[in-house]
Amino acid sequence: MSSASQQPTSINPIHLKNQFALRFVRALNTIKNQKGSAHDTQMHCRSRRVKIAAYTAMASVVGSRRSWSRAVLWKIRNRSRNQDLLRNKIMTNHHRRRRHAKLCMKRRNRNSIREDVYLNPFRYSVQESKLRKMVPGGRNMDSWCLGDEIADYIKCLAAQVEVMQTLVDLYTVT
Amino acid sequence: MNPESSSGGHCPSFMFNSLPPQQQFSSLIANHPISGIVKPDPGWPEFSVYGGQLGNGYLNQNTPGVADQTFTPANSATVSPKKRKADKVPSLQVVSEKDKKIKGCAEEGDSKITHQYSNCDNKSSNSKEASNASSKEKSKVSEVQKPDYIHVRARRGQATDSHSLAERVRREKISERMKYLQDLVPGCNKITGKAGMLDEIINYVQSLQKQVEFLSMKLATVNPELDFNIDSIFTKEMLQSPIQGLGCSSETAADFQLNSMEQLVSYCGLDMDINSTEMALRRSISSPIRIPETFMESSCFNQIQPTATWDADLQNLYKMEFEQGTLIPFQSHQFTGSNDGSNMKMEM
Repeated sequence: MSSASQQPTSINPIHLKNQFALRFVRALNTIKNQKGSAHDTQMHCRSRRVKIAAYTAMASVVGSRRSWSRAVLWKIRNRSRNQDLLRNKIMTNHHRRRRHAKLCMKRRNRNSIREDVYLNPFRYSVQESKLRKMVPGGRNMDSWCLGDEIADYIKCLAAQVEVMQTLVDLYTVT
Repeated sequence: MNPESSSGGHCPSFMFNSLPPQQQFSSLIANHPISGIVKPDPGWPEFSVYGGQLGNGYLNQNTPGVADQTFTPANSATVSPKKRKADKVPSLQVVSEKDKKIKGCAEEGDSKITHQYSNCDNKSSNSKEASNASSKEKSKVSEVQKPDYIHVRARRGQATDSHSLAERVRREKISERMKYLQDLVPGCNKITGKAGMLDEIINYVQSLQKQVEFLSMKLATVNPELDFNIDSIFTKEMLQSPIQGLGCSSETAADFQLNSMEQLVSYCGLDMDINSTEMALRRSISSPIRIPETFMESSCFNQIQPTATWDADLQNLYKMEFEQGTLIPFQSHQFTGSNDGSNMKMEM
């Protein structure tokens, strides 16, 4: 049962929306509850958290099938890890080494992008690089997957926007 | 192109003084008409095409005071006089080609050089033509290959090549994908050309992301005003657990409608003031009982169907809320006893 819920069908937009709404509302609740404890948080920080919650909800609904959702989830997980690091504020050598490794990874990725662009038979390099920047995890995709992922991402984003709009309407009216 | 000219040309202007008198004289003679002619000539940058460094000298001539001095260094002092002559001649020739006023000595070298130039031009043009012809041939070949899809055999080793076949398949897939994207993005149908389409897609995605940001801001502003709803949210969370259980097993359309209905129910939960008594009832009833209700009660089912899209407008939603508020407790009373077996099924 739970495994099935981990990988819902994103083919059906209604189901997608429902799942997303559920998760998102729950995340909102948790955010709100946290806010009760830490009272006057700043506005933009709160909105950012809501946004992140929305993206997480969407990505978790889509699951690990899509590379963009995988990238989002990975990023968020890493983000929380980084936050923990910041909270501790203890930068040991080990962490530094880790950071260095990350930087190296980044460099390597950049190189791979260049190769991709070079190998890319289509010469829409400017637009494609733009698209790559926009879609999460797009940097490591080949131009093959890119189209597919973009299509899926657009679908999910549209659903997300709709749900959020309805939520906003609901809350503002009541 | 011209080895002699390439040797000189970049030497500074003070070389003029170090020149032997003969050379000075000749250079002056040569220079005078040229400088006068070249200056008004609008096509001077083209010289750089003809003789590499000679163009530099002409470039400097645009400044009037330095004109004579700057031209002479084109023939460097380091080069032997013969070479210098030979060096100067082509430049004259070049100028004369431009506007045929120069009386400059026409030696054999010039003609040779001009021949060279012309030969070069001819060669380049020939090569261009050849390339054109070859490209035409290629295009012809591709035109021939395109229509005969897989059925016809192409010329040996061309279209039957595994690479080209794979390429064809890949292109088809990409075009399919582009079509799919076109359908997804509104207003993209009118645009032809992949570049424009990609632009449109980029704009659309960006707008969506901005919308998400904006909406999240709105939600963040709205949230603190929801304090009076906290109780209802707790009940909603209670309600959400069965929905999740539903969501995992839901594959059919009916189940999706069920889901949407549950959503509405959960939103009913938000409005405590409207139906608080119903909420209490619902809390007392275990969640799976409501699932068969919708299966069994056809009237309720039909009523839910129009709002199955969930994102229907708000008015519709509220209507549904009221209707459910009246319907659900009633039905739950009806079906609590009769539907135990189906409950079990649903829980599976």
